[in-house]
Amino acid sequence: MFDRDVWQEIFNTLKTNKLRTFLTGFSVGWAIFILVMLLASVNGMQNGFTGQFNDDATNSIFVRPGTTSKAYGGFEAGRRIQFKNDDIEYIKKSFPEDIEYISGRYFTSTTARYKAETGSYSVQATHPDHQAIEKTLITEGRYINEADVVNKAKVAVIGRKVAEDLFKKENPMGQFVTLNNLPFRVIGIFTDDGDDNAERRIYAPISTYQQIYGNTNVVNSIALTYNPNYDLTEALEFSNKLEILMKRRHKIAPEDQAGIGVWNYAEAFDNISSFTAVLNGVAIAVTFLILIAGIVGIGNIMVFTIKERTKEIGVRKALGARPSQIVNLVILESIFITALSGFVGLLFAWIILALVGPNFQTDAFRDPSVELSTVITATIILIVAGVLAGLIPAMKAANVKPIVALSDK
Amino acid sequence: MIEIKDLHKSYRMGSNSLHVLKGINFKVEEGELVAIMGSSGSGKSTLLNILGMLDGADSGDYILDNVPIKNLSETKAAQYRNKFLGFIFQSFNLINYKSAAENVALPLYYQKVPRKERQEKALQYLERVGLKPWADHLPSELSGGQKQRVAIARAMAAEPKVLLADEPTGALDSKTSYEVMDLIQKINDEGNTILIVTHEEDIAHMCKRIVHLKDGVIVEDKKIEQVRAEQYV
Repeated sequence: MFDRDVWQEIFNTLKTNKLRTFLTGFSVGWAIFILVMLLASVNGMQNGFTGQFNDDATNSIFVRPGTTSKAYGGFEAGRRIQFKNDDIEYIKKSFPEDIEYISGRYFTSTTARYKAETGSYSVQATHPDHQAIEKTLITEGRYINEADVVNKAKVAVIGRKVAEDLFKKENPMGQFVTLNNLPFRVIGIFTDDGDDNAERRIYAPISTYQQIYGNTNVVNSIALTYNPNYDLTEALEFSNKLEILMKRRHKIAPEDQAGIGVWNYAEAFDNISSFTAVLNGVAIAVTFLILIAGIVGIGNIMVFTIKERTKEIGVRKALGARPSQIVNLVILESIFITALSGFVGLLFAWIILALVGPNFQTDAFRDPSVELSTVITATIILIVAGVLAGLIPAMKAANVKPIVALSDK
Repeated sequence: MIEIKDLHKSYRMGSNSLHVLKGINFKVEEGELVAIMGSSGSGKSTLLNILGMLDGADSGDYILDNVPIKNLSETKAAQYRNKFLGFIFQSFNLINYKSAAENVALPLYYQKVPRKERQEKALQYLERVGLKPWADHLPSELSGGQKQRVAIARAMAAEPKVLLADEPTGALDSKTSYEVMDLIQKINDEGNTILIVTHEEDIAHMCKRIVHLKDGVIVEDKKIEQVRAEQYV
């Protein structure tokens, strides 16, 4: 295989038919180029999707109260469900093994003021666990802690944008910002990978806001994360149990979808995974069809080459070349053309991705890239394709009768 | 060296069958220089093809150096050709992208002779045909006579039992033809067995024996007084 004479022969054939070799090689190179670009695009979409979800812990579940749509347990339809603090305690006690973090949420919007600057922001009053669930990144200070909740402390963790808008160049840490006409001490600043809007948010202890709004114990929604070691089935099983439990507690018909909303990230994630898997499959299938055209092209051109070289093959056979040597030669030549042109296609795709890729940083599409596994797959495909393309010409060459060396004058 | 008994060969031409060889019997001893003559269609090329294992006979025996040649697979035939036979063609059949030395070395390549030894041997044989200075030239840079001498060196390189030449002077002018015949005679003088297919009387008379074919049978088989080609060169 690594015989100098064999390669001399291959290079000679390619050299004497440069244009032909280029044109045939192009089809295969093009197919591989498309394959890599398609796979990279799918990869980019996948990255985009996961990027959007990365904002929150991927093992999180959100439970929101709704309005019942069915009469059940002596209640009429259209009843508004409300969660209270003890719902959180109840969930915690019911699933001590499953729950990782749990936090109530109390939403409101407020006008915040610092000195002359004012702005309208949303306030999320939460428990300390909320930081882990929402993956809030504290850049300065700290998040709300247990003591803040117990003491109903008027403290606030403000987003980077809020800090910029209200405090300008001043350091907000320790300063008092006025929310709902009450002074709150800034104890922390956070950023968020998700988007800028998340940074226009203010976190405060849930108990503080429950007190401000009439000493209530109402919770707008409950966010929690489950044991991160759970796989998809376990996660879905858990969220189902949770849903059944909450519906029973609030006397909602089991089949009533409106009474309560349990939103599980795992489910959405699973949908995306299967979606991108299908896209990958489509990309590979499309490429295979294009590649078949390339294989046929190369096989076709090689049949021609063999025909042209019939006499030379005859001479070689007369001089003692065995059929297997001729077959090897043809297959090797075919693999060489396909592999070479395929790698050129691969290289081009890689260069384009390296140049253009970083410019695609939208929400739905980011970091399109080729993985090593793609390269390896492509290589295997190319070698198989080369063998396939060489098969018919090789058989033709092996069937050349040495007699042509004599008769074909 | 060569023994042929009652050899028959026919070709199918559509629905007709063309009987080309109708029972050939002849023997060639070691060291002979035989001319096979005959007009076109006499079956002389077919005979040479069968002798060269490029084609199979329908019936009859062919024994080459005590080895019966019959029902060979392609691979076996390739091995035997490589071991027993050297071919010289009318149109030289040199490989045009290989230098003279590489062409000569080709049969040795198929004998799996190591590269270095191949090159040495090729040069040695090129020297014998007087073309050592042209070793690195491509066939396109050589004259017709030179090409045929390279082809002869190639046929010799594998040290075959028998050299088969199909109209070796057919594409050459008479002066070059005699030069080539002079070379063939000298190779024969060293004890090599050579068969030449030709339709030229003067070339045939430079051999030691003439076998005349007509309509698929041997009509004449005589030993002759060899005309040395040297005197015309």
